[in-house]
Amino acid sequence: MSQPTFSSPTPAPGSRAIAASALRRAGLIDQDAKMRDVSEKPGRKAGVKQSTRTRTHPHKPRAIDLVTGKDQHGAKSLNARIAAGDPATSRLVKSTAARGRRNAISLNGAPGSGKVIELWKEWVNRRWNKEAKFLNLERMHEDEFLKRHRLTCPSSPDGAREAQVVFKIASKLEPPVETISLAHNDLASGRIMSTLAHFMPKLANLSLEGNKLGGWKEIEYISGKRGRLEQLRELVLIGNPMRDLEIKNDRVQQYKSDIARRFPSLEMLDGEPVVRVAFDAPTPSASTSARHHTLLTSFAWNVEPSFIAGVDGTIVSNFFVRFFPLFDNQRGALLDAYAPDATFSFSANTGIPPRARIEGIHVSKDFPNQRKLEWAPWLSGGLGGSRNIGRLTGGMQQLTQSLHLGSEQAVKAMADLPSTKHDVTGSPEQFSVDAFPIRQGESTNLLVTVHGQFAELPSEGIRSFDRSFVLAIAPEGSRAKQNGWDVVILSDQLVVRAYSSYEAWRPGPIRVQAGDLLPSPGLQQALAPLPEPQRALMQDLILRTRLNLQFAEDCLKNNEWDLERALANYEQVKANLPGDAYLPQDAFLP
Amino acid sequence: MSTLTQNDIAIATRAAENFTRLYYSTYDSPTRIDDLPNFYRPNSALTWNGRPFEGVEGVRELVSGIPTSKHEVQSFDCHPIPGSQPPSLLVTASGTVIHGKGPAGNPAKTPRGVVDGHPRVFSQTFVLAPDPNAPPTKSGEVAKYYITADAFRFVG
Repeated sequence: MSQPTFSSPTPAPGSRAIAASALRRAGLIDQDAKMRDVSEKPGRKAGVKQSTRTRTHPHKPRAIDLVTGKDQHGAKSLNARIAAGDPATSRLVKSTAARGRRNAISLNGAPGSGKVIELWKEWVNRRWNKEAKFLNLERMHEDEFLKRHRLTCPSSPDGAREAQVVFKIASKLEPPVETISLAHNDLASGRIMSTLAHFMPKLANLSLEGNKLGGWKEIEYISGKRGRLEQLRELVLIGNPMRDLEIKNDRVQQYKSDIARRFPSLEMLDGEPVVRVAFDAPTPSASTSARHHTLLTSFAWNVEPSFIAGVDGTIVSNFFVRFFPLFDNQRGALLDAYAPDATFSFSANTGIPPRARIEGIHVSKDFPNQRKLEWAPWLSGGLGGSRNIGRLTGGMQQLTQSLHLGSEQAVKAMADLPSTKHDVTGSPEQFSVDAFPIRQGESTNLLVTVHGQFAELPSEGIRSFDRSFVLAIAPEGSRAKQNGWDVVILSDQLVVRAYSSYEAWRPGPIRVQAGDLLPSPGLQQALAPLPEPQRALMQDLILRTRLNLQFAEDCLKNNEWDLERALANYEQVKANLPGDAYLPQDAFLP
Repeated sequence: MSTLTQNDIAIATRAAENFTRLYYSTYDSPTRIDDLPNFYRPNSALTWNGRPFEGVEGVRELVSGIPTSKHEVQSFDCHPIPGSQPPSLLVTASGTVIHGKGPAGNPAKTPRGVVDGHPRVFSQTFVLAPDPNAPPTKSGEVAKYYITADAFRFVG
């Protein structure tokens, strides 16, 4: 294809024949239709004949023939045939009328639309570079083929349906399309891409170079909730106002970050690698070879009390007993407790807790002040607002402002938050603490997570909170040490939530569904000596069948500790089991 | 004293977004027992509702004893922790989680005020650290991170 108006690369010799046969095999063109094509000579205009691209189905009347009167069934006029109630005609008339405002695109649809679809298929085929898996949709408004066949250009404002047709055709190409270029189409809106993620979810490379995309809204079509290119590796936005503006305003980093956040899979942006951090996440190929695991229907583990390890518990409690009253009454004094380069941020999780809602906590008489609480001071206060990364709309700027660097900034931000009252000397079950050492480079620090509640002033409404600290032992001579702190705060993240009861961390077995049996302490004690995973499997089987330990163990042993098989086995034999195969009622909690 | 640049913050934020998305979708997938341990290393320390586990094998044991799950993350935050380069990251996530079949799995005659089966609120704190033994594999990757510490609790 060497026409000047097509910017697709010239295919290798013989490749047209290969492409043609591939398309035939793929069913996109008829066996007997030949690939009509432009001549090889450069500079010549296309010489495609007008009337020969239609399919011929001798037994089916074509709508166009009916309209022009060239009907194979006879030369009766269309009106005459409608009047006569000819079934074939009335069906066609109905479908032609119905086709007017339909949104659904059917590639094997009503006769008549078939001709147009064939044209689109041919056009897509011309722009398809099979070897490179590249669909070149550049400069569509200059395309001679579209003009000649009076096809609406997909990049025009009313070309949305045509774009959808093109992408649908493209989604059936073999091998699958990896790269699409929509460069130089004068696109001011990203709307043309609204079905791109639907039809080609595995698209790897996309160029939007040289368009007129002005803002983030235009990218939403491929990075929003409705459609997201989850596997996009490379994106080009060079030459678009949205990028040029950021560069002009010296916000290149922010631009790169904001794009990278919208496309987590992205590796190259505008020709440059995207800097990122990687994890050993599962790849599809690795996961499909996994063994089949039967998950339990009960929890193998109980909720346990506060866990403190690797450090003297008094260090942690001394820290809290001093920290929270100061946070309540004198936040400025906490300056001593934070390292000079400490980091602090807070976020509000404004979700309504399901269980608390069912229990009616927020409207109960025990909590008379809940309705006076408002989220606004937490969402926008604290000199930067709530740092819920998933919900931020202010881009890089908001991300930076809401992260407070250094002890002075940290304390200043805290001073701008609502006043609080933590009841540290009250009943300890209101708080749950998990603390253990973590290695950080050469040093060992302490991770401390605390969950609890406070009264927010002046309303006296109750909030729940989670706070995570990374603490270091205060060095001799440091400001912290000199002011009586044994530990110094390196990082502090606070999350404030609507109130949920501390029953959530009451120690004991955990119920999954209503009505599930739970093991009594006696039963758990009896199972305790068993090694894992046998203990967990025994407990799960017993909770489902009430079998006693001996029978449960036999059942599992005879089925090689495969829980699914053991359950099936139990179902087979349970009619014949004696009454004493089962545990008494008191082995379970009501 | 190391100063955090905007770039550090940008990279940390993206890491948190990717991580949160990947971690919980892996947790909720049928291949959880095989895939979730990959986020950890032998020296990882974790607690689940106050019960300690250690390393890759510990994670495998932990998640083998948990029914099917469906998490919905409602908020998450991330800092670089000062003191090392590339920095460790402190990530906190909170949201709701359904284990088992949710309210639909409750017996038909379950009274209205019963909370069992309904989503619980969870809070999870991670410390992500660069893996010194794994070189970056693709261009642009700063480092491969893993979970060195993890504390999970039901909080509502």
